[in-house]
Amino acid sequence: MSSIRRLCDLVLALLRELADESAYQRHLQAHGRNHSGEEWRHFCEERLGAKYTRPKCC
Amino acid sequence: MKLLGHLAWGAVSAIAAFCLGGIALNRGEHINSIWLVLAASCTYAVGFRFYARFIAARVMALNDKRATPAERLRNGLDFEPTNKWIVFGHHFAAIAGPGPLVGPVLAAQFGYLPGTLWIIIGAVLGGAVQDFVILFASMRRDGKTLGQMAREEIGKVGGLTALLTVLLIMIILLAVVALVVVNALKGSAWGTFTIAATMPIALFMGLYLRYWRPGKVLECSLIGFALVVASIFGGRSVAESASLGPVFTLSAMALAVAIIIYGYLASVLPVWLFLAPRDYLSTFVKLGVVFMLAVGILFVRPQLEMPAFTRFVDGTGPIFSGKIFPFCFITIACGAISGFHALISSGTTPKLIAREWHAWPVGYGSMLLESFLAIMAMIAACVLQPGVYFAVNSPAGVVGATAEAATATISGWGFPVTAGEMAELARNMGEQTLFFRTGGAPSLAVGMAHIFARSSGGEALLGFWYHFAIMFEALFILTIIGAGTRVGRFMLQDLLGHAWKPLGQAGWIPGVLGLSAAVVAAWGYFLVQGVRDPLGGINSLWPLFGISNQLLAAIALCVATTILLKMHGPRFMWITCVPLAWLVTVTFTAGWQKIFSPLPAVGFLAQADKLEAALAAGTAADAAATRALIFNARLDAAITAIFLVLVATILIDSFRVWAGILSGARAAVVSESPFVLSQLRPEEL
Repeated sequence: MSSIRRLCDLVLALLRELADESAYQRHLQAHGRNHSGEEWRHFCEERLGAKYTRPKCC
Repeated sequence: MKLLGHLAWGAVSAIAAFCLGGIALNRGEHINSIWLVLAASCTYAVGFRFYARFIAARVMALNDKRATPAERLRNGLDFEPTNKWIVFGHHFAAIAGPGPLVGPVLAAQFGYLPGTLWIIIGAVLGGAVQDFVILFASMRRDGKTLGQMAREEIGKVGGLTALLTVLLIMIILLAVVALVVVNALKGSAWGTFTIAATMPIALFMGLYLRYWRPGKVLECSLIGFALVVASIFGGRSVAESASLGPVFTLSAMALAVAIIIYGYLASVLPVWLFLAPRDYLSTFVKLGVVFMLAVGILFVRPQLEMPAFTRFVDGTGPIFSGKIFPFCFITIACGAISGFHALISSGTTPKLIAREWHAWPVGYGSMLLESFLAIMAMIAACVLQPGVYFAVNSPAGVVGATAEAATATISGWGFPVTAGEMAELARNMGEQTLFFRTGGAPSLAVGMAHIFARSSGGEALLGFWYHFAIMFEALFILTIIGAGTRVGRFMLQDLLGHAWKPLGQAGWIPGVLGLSAAVVAAWGYFLVQGVRDPLGGINSLWPLFGISNQLLAAIALCVATTILLKMHGPRFMWITCVPLAWLVTVTFTAGWQKIFSPLPAVGFLAQADKLEAALAAGTAADAAATRALIFNARLDAAITAIFLVLVATILIDSFRVWAGILSGARAAVVSESPFVLSQLRPEEL
C-alpha cells in the first residue's frame, strides 16, 4: 500500500514539475514571497521567456 | 545472492537473444507483437545494466560526492537538485516528439524486421550513448549547451557550424511535421474540427491561468483535456452536419495556409496566452497516450500482419524511395539515435540532476524508453494488413488516383486490398476516405485505434479512438511548430544581431514580427512544396529531415569523442567513434544518393532532369507547376549539400583536434568545473 502511495506521490510530483507548479513554489521560497496573481504573472514572464528560447525535440 | 543476480541477468540475456533470434529468423509466419516487446525490453535491460554502467563507472567515473551544477549553482529556477525519477520523466517528456512515432511507421514499408533491429541496436549502442555522454559532459561543465561545448572543445568553427545546422534542421523539421498534420487532416472534417477546437481551448486556458486561477496549471490542464475530449465527441456531429461539415472539410493547401498562419501567431503572441497552455496540455496528453499504448499492446498482444521483409527492400518503395541501406537508418532517427536529443541533454536536464549517478537512468534510460516508444509505433503500423498500410501511406502519384487503381496496384505487389475494405475501414474510423494519407500519422492512428478499441469499447469506439490518436499527434506537432518557429526566430536574432544590433533585441517589435515571418516563410515554403509534390512530399522531405537530424547527432558525437579523448586518450574513443563512423557512413551515403542518384525517384537532380526533359518534350501536364517542381528538386539537392558541407567542416575540424591531441602537439585540457564536495542531504532529493 505504501509503495503504491509513494508511486502516486512520485507521479504527482512529476506532473507538478512538468506543469511548472513546483518551479513556482521554489520561486516563492527563494524570494520569500507569497502566492498572488501578480507574483504568478511575474514568475511566468521569467520562466516561460527562458523556456521558449530552447529548441523542442522532434 | 550474487549468484542469484548472475542467474537472473543470464536469463534476461538469454530471453533477449532468443527473442531477437526469433524475430530475425522467422519467415513466412505471422508473429505476435510480444516477441518485439520482449526482445526490446530485455536488450535494453542488458544494455542499461552492463554497457551503460561500464560507461558510467569506468569512462565517466561518475561520483556522487561531486556536487552537480544543480547543487552548486542552485537558484530555485533552472538549477535545482531534483528527484531522479522526476528528472527522468521531465527529460523523457522533452525528448519524445513525433519522430519516434512517424519514422518507424514509414520504415515499416521494408517490413517489421529492419526497422525493429535498428531501433533496438541503434538505441543501445548509439542513441542512448550519445544522450548519456552529452548529458554527462554538460553536467560537468555547469550545464553548457552543445553549441558552447562544440566551441570550447573543438573550436569556433565547430560552434558556428552547430548553430547553423540546428537552424536549418529546425526549418526542415517544422515543414515535415506540418506536412504530417496536413496529410492527416485533409478532407477530414472530424479531425480538423477537433484540432481547430484546441485553439480556443488553449486561449481559454491561457486566460484562466493568467487571471482566474493563477498557478493552477494541473487543474487548468485537466479542464483543457476534458474540453478536448468533448470536442472529439462533438467532431462526429460536426462532420455529419450538412452545414458545418463542408466548413471543416479542407484541402491540403487550405490546411497548409492555416498551419502557416497558426505558426506565425504562436510565435508572436505572448507565450502565456497560447503556446504555454498548449504545451502543458500536449505534454500531459503525450505521456498519457504513450502509457495507454504500452498497456494496450501488452493487454491485446496483437499479431503482426506485415512480413519481416517486403519486396521494397530493393528501393522501389511507394512511401519513400531508396534501399534499406542507407534509407532505413535515416528514416528512423529519433527512435534509434537523434541529434536533437543532444540539445535537450545539454539544456534543462543537466541543471536538475542532483547526483552524478542519476545521469545513468536519466541520460541512457530515457533514450531506451523513447526507443521503446518507437517499437510500439512499429507494432501499431505492422498490425495493419499490409494492403491497408500501403493504401493509406502511398501517394496517388505512385499507386493511381482512384480507389480502384490504387487497390489494383497494391494488390499487384502481393498485398491484397479491395476498395470495399478501404471504404469500410474509412466508415469505421468516421472518415470519408483513408487513401493517400501519406506521412505516417493516419496509419499510426488506425493501428492505435484498433489496439485501443480491442482494449476498451470495441468496434463502436473505433472512430473515437482514431480521432483521439489524430488529436494526440496533431496537438503536440502543432505545439512543436509554434515553439520551433519562436526558437528559430531567437536563433536568427542571435545570428543577425551581429550584423545589425536592433535585430538582436528581443523586445524590438518590428524585428520580432519580421524575423518570425522569415522563419515561417522558410518552413512554409517547404511545406507548400510538400503539399504540391505529386509524390506526397514525404518522399523528399522526410529523408531530408532524417539526414539533417543524424548529421546533428554526428556533431554531438564529435564533441563527445573529443571530450573522451581529452579525458582518457584513445582508450575509450571507440564508445562514441563507432556510432559516429556508422552515422557518417549512413548520412553521407544517403545525402550523396539523394543528390546524385541517377534514379529520379531517389536523386533530386535526376528528378529535376527528368522533369526538364518532359518540359522540353512538351509532355508535362502543367508547365508552370513542372518548373516549380524542377526548382524545388534542385533546392532540396542544395540543402542536402549544405548539410553535408557543414558536417564535413565539423568532422575535419574534429579530426584536426584529435590528431593534435594524439600526436602530442595539442594539450588535452579537460575543461570541467572544479571538484566541489557535495553537501546535499538525502532528504533534499
